[in-house]
Amino acid sequence: MDVKFNMVQKTKHFFEEIGDLSFFAARFFKQAVNPPFEFKELLRQCYQVGNRSLLLVMTTGFIIGLVLTLQTRPTLIEFGAVSWMPNMVGISIVREVGPVITALICSGKIASGFGAELGSMKVTEQIDAMEVSGTNPFKYLVVTRILAATLMLPLLVIFGDLIALYGSSLVEFFKGNVSFRLYFNKVFEALSFGDLIPATIKSFFFGFVIGLTGCYKGYKTGRGTAGVGIAANTAVVMASLLLFVVDFVAVFVSDIFYEL
Amino acid sequence: MANKTSIQNMKLGLFVVLGTLLVLVASYLIGNRQNMFVQNFSVNAVFKNVNGLQVGNNVRFSGINIGTVDKIDMLNDTTIVVQMKVEKKMREHIRKNAIATIGSDGLVGSMLVNIVPGVGEAVSVEDGDRLESYSRISSQNMLNTLSVTNENAALLTSDLLRVTQSLTEGKGTLGKLLNDTKMADDLEQTIINLKYSSEKVSQTLDDLQILMKGAQSDQTITGMLLSDSISAQKLKNILINLDSSSIEINRTAQNLNQWVGEIKNGQGALQLVTQDTVLANQLMRTMQNIEEGTEKFNENMEALKHNFLTRGYFRKLEKEQKKANEN
Repeated sequence: MDVKFNMVQKTKHFFEEIGDLSFFAARFFKQAVNPPFEFKELLRQCYQVGNRSLLLVMTTGFIIGLVLTLQTRPTLIEFGAVSWMPNMVGISIVREVGPVITALICSGKIASGFGAELGSMKVTEQIDAMEVSGTNPFKYLVVTRILAATLMLPLLVIFGDLIALYGSSLVEFFKGNVSFRLYFNKVFEALSFGDLIPATIKSFFFGFVIGLTGCYKGYKTGRGTAGVGIAANTAVVMASLLLFVVDFVAVFVSDIFYEL
Repeated sequence: MANKTSIQNMKLGLFVVLGTLLVLVASYLIGNRQNMFVQNFSVNAVFKNVNGLQVGNNVRFSGINIGTVDKIDMLNDTTIVVQMKVEKKMREHIRKNAIATIGSDGLVGSMLVNIVPGVGEAVSVEDGDRLESYSRISSQNMLNTLSVTNENAALLTSDLLRVTQSLTEGKGTLGKLLNDTKMADDLEQTIINLKYSSEKVSQTLDDLQILMKGAQSDQTITGMLLSDSISAQKLKNILINLDSSSIEINRTAQNLNQWVGEIKNGQGALQLVTQDTVLANQLMRTMQNIEEGTEKFNENMEALKHNFLTRGYFRKLEKEQKKANEN
């Protein structure tokens, strides 16, 4: 009885959360298109999200490219298809690995950051104070952050892709005597707009999801300092989970538009 | 504070510009591969079967990627028009007699259109020209051919099995050859003999060579005979003399025959001696009588030696004989 009650409660809570998130998103769109716009804060947030995450994303990308190539090499050699390495790694990085890994890294860094930042502001009643002083806290804090994440993530993905391909080409250069020029020639020979465009569009959505969940969890933080930690933690978990849902939908949709 | 913000904004600007530039470069490179930014012209070719060719597949001319497949239209159940977008700068190299075929990029690669230069002179293609084509053998056709080949291979192997079985069982000439140890021994012996013979032949040839060398060098009789014209003349004379001698001998032999014949048929003493048996018997008896007479005479002589009247004379003769021997 207790378990059943618990299940019902959880399901109810899950849908409540989704509904809340949707309202939060709707509020964001409404606030985002209506002036006044907080450009300065947007730029500051873009810097925080973009520039401050670049090193992390590039390091991860480099290692991913390196590892992917090293791990795939023996199998490709077995099939005598090692010359297809640039094509294979290029497509997998641009289409899937680059955006997803970058988004996951960013969800760890950005979503948790947003959650903790907004959560602590909420706990310390700074948001209420802003409202009292006449500033729209949602516009100033949430809209700028979500927009910054949405705009910056595609750029981070591009940098991540490039550095991952560079890592992969390094392995091919030292292990397979493949020149960088040949490697990138083959990568771009294999790539088409059908690989680049859906991946770029997808990364906008990834950015939006990361920003949205981070801000939502921070904005809706419960009372007390413990709430800040919970907000940061749940922001990361929810953002990561939603990323995969969005990824699935994105692949599904791009599959319809581009014959894969 | 303002300074810090401006540095931050500058960094952000750099980040955004670089990122956007990267997207643009990647887009350009991808577009360039699909001939989006070069001037193109179109050619087409008609195929019966395009073997899975798709829009966007590469078009190659003598192994160089020069364009992409733009459109694939089915005109009727056996006619498919493949429209190709080819770089304009390649137009002068592609002649009107070029042939388009559908191939694949490697064993597992994607399909592509290969344009092969035709034989002989022709003018360059124009925009919208139709190239000659021939449809590649499809993998299904290849498999069908392979199937026939496999059946033949099966028949061949079964025949081969029968042959090898016969061989191992010792049937037929080859089987006997393989299994009969006596024959093998004989063969071995024959080979040894052959080897011996060939050695001998080789030796003989060596000897012959030496002989020939000798003959060439005028040192031997043969050489002399072969090369010396004076000796040859002498030999010729000898032969002529021999010839005349043999005629003489022949004549003498004829005379002798005649003479012998006369003896045989004649009445002379010789005829009697050789032909008359009575005379022979008489002669034999005479000879016996003479022998007996001689024996008796010998006895008489021996008696004379011991006779006191003649004994001195004989002793004297013995002494003289002895003296002569000592000297």
